Amino acid sequence: MREKLHPFHVGLLVFMVQAGVVSIFLPRMLAQYMGYNGWVSLLLFSAVATFNIFLISVVYRLSDGKSIFQIIEQSLPKVIVFPLYTVLVSVWTLIGCIAAKQYILLFTVFVFPTTPPMYMKFLFDIIAYSLITKGIYNISKAATVFFWMVIWTALLLLFFLKGFEWVNLTPFFFKESSDVIVGGLSIFTAFLGYELVLLLFPYVNSKKGFMSAVYFGNFLTTFIYLAICLTCFGFYSFKQLTRMKFPLIDLLAYIRLPFVERVENIFIALYLVSALMSITMYIWAASETAQSLIPRASKRWITGVLVCGAFAVSWIPDVLSEVELWLKYLGYMASGIAFGLPLLLIAILAINNGGKKLV
Amino acid sequence: MGISNDTREGAAFMTLFRRTNRLPGKDARRDDNRPNDDADVPPSLQHTLDNFKDCMDLVHHAFPEINVNLVYFGHLVGAEELSRDVTIPLTNIRENEVQALLTRNQYKLTTNSKSLIKGILNGEAAIFHNDNVYLMDVYKPEARSIQQSETETVITGPHDSFIETASANLSLIRRRVKSSHLKVIKLEVGEVTKSIVYLLYIEGIANMEYVRELTDRINLIEIDAVHDGNMLIQYIDDFPNSVFPLFSTTERTDTAVSKLVAGRIVGILDGSPSVFSAPSSFFEFMASPDDYYQRWATGTSLRVLRFIALFITLTFTALYVSVTTFHYEMIPEALLLTITESRSKVPFPPIYEALLMEVTIELLREAGARLPTKIGQTIGIVGGIVIGQAAVQAGFTSNILIIAVASSAIASFVIPSYVMSASIRLVRFGLIIMAGILGDLGIALGIAYLVVHLSGLTSLNSSYLTPVSPNNFKDWRDVFIRAPFWALRRRPSQSRSPNLVRNRMKK
Repeated sequence: MREKLHPFHVGLLVFMVQAGVVSIFLPRMLAQYMGYNGWVSLLLFSAVATFNIFLISVVYRLSDGKSIFQIIEQSLPKVIVFPLYTVLVSVWTLIGCIAAKQYILLFTVFVFPTTPPMYMKFLFDIIAYSLITKGIYNISKAATVFFWMVIWTALLLLFFLKGFEWVNLTPFFFKESSDVIVGGLSIFTAFLGYELVLLLFPYVNSKKGFMSAVYFGNFLTTFIYLAICLTCFGFYSFKQLTRMKFPLIDLLAYIRLPFVERVENIFIALYLVSALMSITMYIWAASETAQSLIPRASKRWITGVLVCGAFAVSWIPDVLSEVELWLKYLGYMASGIAFGLPLLLIAILAINNGGKKLV
Repeated sequence: MGISNDTREGAAFMTLFRRTNRLPGKDARRDDNRPNDDADVPPSLQHTLDNFKDCMDLVHHAFPEINVNLVYFGHLVGAEELSRDVTIPLTNIRENEVQALLTRNQYKLTTNSKSLIKGILNGEAAIFHNDNVYLMDVYKPEARSIQQSETETVITGPHDSFIETASANLSLIRRRVKSSHLKVIKLEVGEVTKSIVYLLYIEGIANMEYVRELTDRINLIEIDAVHDGNMLIQYIDDFPNSVFPLFSTTERTDTAVSKLVAGRIVGILDGSPSVFSAPSSFFEFMASPDDYYQRWATGTSLRVLRFIALFITLTFTALYVSVTTFHYEMIPEALLLTITESRSKVPFPPIYEALLMEVTIELLREAGARLPTKIGQTIGIVGGIVIGQAAVQAGFTSNILIIAVASSAIASFVIPSYVMSASIRLVRFGLIIMAGILGDLGIALGIAYLVVHLSGLTSLNSSYLTPVSPNNFKDWRDVFIRAPFWALRRRPSQSRSPNLVRNRMKK
């Protein structure tokens, strides 16, 4: 690797992987599971994610910039390493492909009810493949451009200052919440993505700024989610919000300009880049892991096989509700990995160092 | 030279198709590796005349009374220089004074045939006296006068531009940069044409890594001829298959000088008015010298206008196709009536309609570019009538499409670099087709692919998307806007200059 990642780009990369299609229905999920003023709970979820990032930062500090695969392979026997890597590769690949499928199906629902979704998914995967094979440095460069392409759309929320009613927020907090644990887990998956920075250790240039950048990415995600959800909670009434399938899309549909309206069409298309970054980074992570599993295989081939595999698997669920179900369980597994992997690494490093450098 | 030799010709032919290996540090000066029959041969009149056999433009003068022969190409040398430095001195001396005359240091003693022949081809006069041969530089080629560039005009600012003669171009630059730190490396490209390339950089400002990399790349070129600067850069840029130009080229002297002082490397190819500079970034192609010669507020608005133009030229026709094919709901009610009315007579789907018009515009542009100005005007008028009225009246296209196509065409010409503007226009066709297949999603997929492609590109190993990624907010002041000069204190980060500060003034 000639060039190293700058903290600023790591921050934007984390944001682009975290924030995704989920923001389209996040306000509804918050209303359904967390009840009145559910948006406040985002802070809690963000705090959990921050704690998780803290665990990763401990791993980073202990590892001295070594790749996590090196750490694992040095200490654990192959019998454990092999299944562990297989699980990582499968979960990350599946998450990537199902998240992309979710985006494509969403688009189909709104715009192209008759176009075969797998056809669009095919084009989507080609772009993802060509980006993954360019390596992490170029992925981060693309992520930066994509970031500027989507972030300005947050300013559109200013359109709703006029329709924002404080009374909709009500003085009640979390009343009428249901399935808090299960729902909470689903909502938490909206923050996932930061765990992939575990794989960035060998690629970053500055020891100091790296972890702050990850915190910053997570903060940015939280801020944008909060802005979207607060606007939705203030613009719609609570009951309305619980019954809307895609509150953010309906919100955008309100925007009217003299020469164009129903701009949500353009914006759903634009959010393609967020979905693209999610699939790219998850499959990149999977291919990095697979590379450690089969060091002799060429990276291009591994990525090709994984993208093809992901494409084949995404053929199975063909309606949005099925995809959501898949994502729910995959999200649980990914959350497990997000916490489990750093804990495992800390344990390994602590034993190796004899607890000397711990924190 | 060896090109008349069969085996040499065969070898040269093979090397034309050999893939160039661009590993830096791997010395590949072709002349060093190849046996050369002329290198060790002592120079003689007979050998020289044999070499130039059948070259009827060669001039051979004999001065038997002083035992001197003179050989040169009449059209390469200046008549005044020749008579002042060679003929007059030789006619006014006796034989015993010849040797004394030729020991003056402007007469270069030559000891091998190869450099002798090269010298004659480069416009030097060869003076044969006894067994010694001397070369005298009397080169003065025919050149057109320095004129205004036709492709890069500005309203205010200097109007002189480069011409086809490298020495004139060098003098234009030297006149503007009066510094001994301006260094020039002389290289040669073209197995047959042996064209000269000068690499210019300012010592202490330019990054020497770039200089070395560029020198290596030029040395690795193995081709029979390179005719233009824009052709040369395709042999030495990082991604020859990309649709985008990776090194910027200019015909303007002030632009080339501004690149030099910004820490970039400038290359002049003899025989071409296009001077290239490297490394370059995508956004550099959006800048024009006008931005700096006008007040900063005007300059800034021009920059912004160009980025709007970039957006329009890429997406306007594509959006028209997308909206009228898939997303009618996006058109407000009042506008909908106009659009449906104008489209009601058109028998084709919007994608065909748009491609038809875009191709017509491209035809007009290409025809206009090839024809003399007077006929070009006729083409413009005929095209205007065909596009503007007849196509609509015949029910081939809708009025609104004409507006979309025309504005994207105009917007494409707002981009100052012609090469970049042509690339963008080509990319636009891809977006229009994608819009015809998948509407807004198609456009988004197309743009995403474009960004993915751009992020993989490098110019002299530095990112093509600088200063957006890798990000450098300080550089944004001279990319997306043109900040006041007091705010432009540093050289662009892409040039990785050892001397970053360019402006030490207090506000």
